[in-house]
Amino acid sequence: MEKILLKNIENPNSADINEYKKAGGYGVLPKAIGLQPKAIIDEVKKSGLRGRGGAGFPVAMKWSFASGDPKFPKYLLCNADEGEPGTFKDRPILEKNPHLLIEGMVISGHAIGAEYGYIYLRGEYPVAKKILNKAIAEAYDAGLLGDNVSGKGMKFHLAVHQGAGAYICGEETALIESIEGNRGQPRIKPPFPVNVGAFSMPTVVNNVETISNIPYIIENGGDTYSKIGSPECPGPKLYCVSGHIEKPGVYELPMGTSLREIIYTHCGGIKGNKKLKAVIPGGVTTPVLPPDKIDCLMDFVNMPKHGSMLGSGAVIVMDESVCMVKVCLRILKFLEHESCGKCTPCREGTGWLRGVLERIENGEGSKGDIDLILSVSDNIMGKTFCPLGEGAASVVQNFVKHFRPEFEEHIKDTGCRIHDKKHASCIVHHES
Amino acid sequence: MITISINGKEIRLEKPMTVLEAARSAGIKIPTLCWHEQLEKYGGCRLCLVEVEKMPRLQTACTLMVADGMVIRTETGRIADVRRGILEFLLINHPLDCPYCDKAGECDLQDLVEKYGPVTGRFKEKKRKVPESLEDPVIVRNMERCIVCTRCVRMCEGVQGASAIAVIDRGGHSHIEPFSGGRFDCEYCGNCVSVCPVGAIMSKLHRHSYRPWQLVDEVETICPYCGVGCTLVVQVRDDVIKRVVPKLGTVVNNGLLCSRGRFGYEFVGSKERLTKPLIRIASKTHDASRVTHNEIFREATWEEAISFVAKKLEEIKDKYGSDSIAGIASPRCTNEDNYIFQKFMRTAIGTNNIDSTARTGFAGAQNFIENIFGQGATANIIPGLSNSDSVLVIGGDPTAINPILGLQIRACSRKGGNILTIGKVKGLRFFNPVSLKPVLYTETVLLEGIVTALRERIGLPGSNPNLEAGIKDINISDGEIEKTCGIKGNDFTMFMKILSESSTPSIVIGKELVQSNSGNYKLLLIAAINYLINGRIYLLSERANEQGLLDMGCAPDLLPGYRPLTFAEFRRKYENSWKTSIPDKVGFSIFEMMDAAKEGSLKALYVMGENPVFNLPDARSVEAAMKNIDFLVVQDIFLTETARLADVVFPALSWSEKDGTFTNMERRIQRLRKAVHREGMEDWRIISEVSKHMGVPLNYSNPEDIFNEVSKVSPLHRDMTYEDIEKGEAVYPYKGEPLRGVSEEIKFQVPSSKFQVSDKKLYLKLERPLFHSGTLSTKAPALVNIYPEAMARISPDTAKSLSLGDGDIVRVSTKIGSLELPVSVDKELDNSSVLLSNNFEGKGAFSLMEYTLDSVTKAPCIDYNEARIEKVNI
Repeated sequence: MEKILLKNIENPNSADINEYKKAGGYGVLPKAIGLQPKAIIDEVKKSGLRGRGGAGFPVAMKWSFASGDPKFPKYLLCNADEGEPGTFKDRPILEKNPHLLIEGMVISGHAIGAEYGYIYLRGEYPVAKKILNKAIAEAYDAGLLGDNVSGKGMKFHLAVHQGAGAYICGEETALIESIEGNRGQPRIKPPFPVNVGAFSMPTVVNNVETISNIPYIIENGGDTYSKIGSPECPGPKLYCVSGHIEKPGVYELPMGTSLREIIYTHCGGIKGNKKLKAVIPGGVTTPVLPPDKIDCLMDFVNMPKHGSMLGSGAVIVMDESVCMVKVCLRILKFLEHESCGKCTPCREGTGWLRGVLERIENGEGSKGDIDLILSVSDNIMGKTFCPLGEGAASVVQNFVKHFRPEFEEHIKDTGCRIHDKKHASCIVHHES
Repeated sequence: MITISINGKEIRLEKPMTVLEAARSAGIKIPTLCWHEQLEKYGGCRLCLVEVEKMPRLQTACTLMVADGMVIRTETGRIADVRRGILEFLLINHPLDCPYCDKAGECDLQDLVEKYGPVTGRFKEKKRKVPESLEDPVIVRNMERCIVCTRCVRMCEGVQGASAIAVIDRGGHSHIEPFSGGRFDCEYCGNCVSVCPVGAIMSKLHRHSYRPWQLVDEVETICPYCGVGCTLVVQVRDDVIKRVVPKLGTVVNNGLLCSRGRFGYEFVGSKERLTKPLIRIASKTHDASRVTHNEIFREATWEEAISFVAKKLEEIKDKYGSDSIAGIASPRCTNEDNYIFQKFMRTAIGTNNIDSTARTGFAGAQNFIENIFGQGATANIIPGLSNSDSVLVIGGDPTAINPILGLQIRACSRKGGNILTIGKVKGLRFFNPVSLKPVLYTETVLLEGIVTALRERIGLPGSNPNLEAGIKDINISDGEIEKTCGIKGNDFTMFMKILSESSTPSIVIGKELVQSNSGNYKLLLIAAINYLINGRIYLLSERANEQGLLDMGCAPDLLPGYRPLTFAEFRRKYENSWKTSIPDKVGFSIFEMMDAAKEGSLKALYVMGENPVFNLPDARSVEAAMKNIDFLVVQDIFLTETARLADVVFPALSWSEKDGTFTNMERRIQRLRKAVHREGMEDWRIISEVSKHMGVPLNYSNPEDIFNEVSKVSPLHRDMTYEDIEKGEAVYPYKGEPLRGVSEEIKFQVPSSKFQVSDKKLYLKLERPLFHSGTLSTKAPALVNIYPEAMARISPDTAKSLSLGDGDIVRVSTKIGSLELPVSVDKELDNSSVLLSNNFEGKGAFSLMEYTLDSVTKAPCIDYNEARIEKVNI
């Protein structure tokens, strides 16, 4: 497949504006600015592009909401806060192909009528910050950003805003709060950001990967784009694969590539030829899958049919040596730490779940603890303010669903066979 | 029309609202913790989750807007399970210390758990531990009990505008902490205490001293401190005020209070309160401050003291005439007290020598403004301020002088209105003000410049020829403002743009303006500005019944109803009602009384609830004048500086011990109600007794009787009843007739020469602190704990040039005296000022301030007192 998002990144100077231009970059920009905003939105609509942040919302629809709101100014925010553990798909774009993102932002800004854009960058991406700032400066120098983009009289300013390390700020309304200088906490919806967003103005928040698709769509047409990958959610997708795998990394593949193909064909299979034990397909809060479920097609439509979600496309592969209770505990520790504290079930529930899991893992679990964590998860599910807390509950539910015997064993044997030195043999059963 | 169904009940709604509001309007209760009607919606606690048909997820009633045809269920088995689950989450880290917690009995969490469960706990992990914080003078924080509903934070930031506290940390570690660290160090309004649904933030004043169900009496009354007139609910146990809380839905303060109102009530139970009438035994030449109370006075019975006073007053009246006697009324006493007092002075004594400390600014300024715009020009509704599109503040910090009014200005800014200030206004500095800070003594030039610019931009409307005549020749260019006042052209242009383009502007005037040089001319200029922009005027009032006492006729030139005494027609009306004659000679103002006392022509002075020896400028010469009076009677609740010089002292009942009415600065009459019982007599009753002994009976059985007479004789209060007041209908212009059409031409004096400014000199200025009001607040331990002693405030530059730091002891001297005080460095202060409050005994700014009287307003001008500061080495 022709690379669209990771095009040219083998070039060690791919982040340089001249190298980007040499490879055809910024070629479509003058044409795009010349188009009516509605024409761009229509083209994106034809392409069938869906947001790559995890929810898969149709991009053209989001844009037309914001563009249809009579309030000005409007804002375009790029969500570059990829904080979901296991996710590093945007990083190659940010570090290797920043001008693709900038070009996409200018065109998207034109489409929705925004004159100001922000890239909300993850706090832990200092390298990307340098590269982005340099690229933005280059774009300003080249007249591709500013009060008169490409000499066409369009105004678009762009700045990087770096987060301070809160996972919740990847949630779009918390991101907006953070940009405004407030505590990073999700806002009440409705009103949605497309109507009342940053500084109370219509705002579109799109993921890095989403925006990076825009130049290709405008250049080659929505129809061409829509033929790539799954018909229901077309386009290329960046899968970032990590864990016990021969060739971990970011792979640009057509949307809807099967999980098995990703693991065994593209990534060279399980490291050391060990047995596969579990895969988390889309970042830690997406439901874990046992080995017999990996024939699923990785896109927004098919994954739910297999009891999971595409999420950010962060595939975490675990081999037979892994203790699933420990993994579950580790994820809960993360989510407890990152819970913003706004709503009761998430603030209190994540900590409680972590506490019980810790007991189980340490051999202090008691009969009934599994029912307890399921009950606590149930008390969280469907009652939280934003999806973070529900993610935590779903992790527990799915880990117990697929690996219950391992949890029971921890309680019965008072501890973890893998991590506790008390237990000499490190055998892990269980395959279903 | 929107029709929805909640629990099978059909509800029709006129306008869109949240499901919660709709349910409440229909009397359906949905449990909440983070929701509060004064605060922005939050959706955090999740207790109000309800089922909505066609919506698969449960919805929070507090955030979901109703839609036509919505079918909602709030009390299903599923919902009960959900609530139990949420409450279980809230309890896992809660200390469950209800038996020990002061909130128990009125705790929302406790009540909800009682209703929904859980009954037993499943949480085996360690609970979060946070030590109780007792660092604050008036607030206790117990963050273990906190449920992170953030009501306190939203109150502090979104309503009070103090932004002193925030949620610190994240997730399960979230807790509320002041930005300043351990102590709140804030405005101490305590509104966070009001909204906390659990026992996490509570008042320290009554810690562990009662249970909510033991508060048998709850009395709604009016705050005794400033002129805003906030409604307070006084909660009483065993005849002791245990707590003062606000009430939601009241017009003036709607659930909000300031530090004084909430925490300043303890003076009522002070051991220093006077209990028995006192008669002087020591000679007046003693230095009163060095002699104990028992050495100056002996206790007397009421009967003895009253007949003694009556006898002495009659003697003096017979010997020297009625006009040798004068009375000072009190802006802290009720309308009824003040009405009786002036009636006593005018009938039993037969003089118009009655005045009050309202003369130090409020009375003159109001009179000046009403002369131009008509009676009631300053009677504007306080909450209306927040709806102005711009508010111009001059002559004081409303957030300190009238804090609840200040909140309305902050709300105006929050709603998108513009705040304009002349001079520094500390309490509004975070509300995006456009501030013009003229160089010392150039305010007049700036105001002339504003009038000039407005006249050019807007033109003279022609409806008030008198006023226009006064301002038509004023001509100050932008350049002159820049040169003289040191104000940048850009700032002035922006200021003028906002001011001239406002369609609903308000002007807030503080006493500092009235008490400055050429005060009357500045008032004229402000009036002209108001005239040109068509604004509303708010005159800040520092005492609870300053307006009321003027309305009751406690002024040398006014009869009740604010009717000029000099009009025979008005006088005759009162003579007919009172069946006696009223002298036609305008009486002494409070300052003229002091002059007359000094030169010996004033023989007797009757002071009701006032402390002129401390509260008038040049206090030491006032003290000398008082000593020169043959017979001084003082009615008060404490043995004040003035009372110490008295021949007879009557112990009065305080604000919470009597009934009556107060009139606030918007001329709203409100009911004061007795909350605690105390032996003794109300001010009006003492005076009636004295009057009776003088052969002029003033027969009233209760304050309502008195008020009924007021409503019969005062044309302004015509036909008003206590019932009208209860119903909230006692709002200006009442049912009576405001005075119109008697105003003469506008008198003012254009300043001839300007003060010579020297930036090397320091000037003593009066600090009007948020935490104190007169000396009354210094008898309230909570307020003293917040602001414990008098301090000389200086700017960092001044401190540096004198090598001074916080807490260093300095001697502040002026021409007429000196005081030794600790210094406090205030970075908001300019380099030419030393600020000193006039609240602490023996350390009042007025003891160092000379004054001259304004030729028109008769208010004292006190802004020219040069001061020196030197370090005192201990």
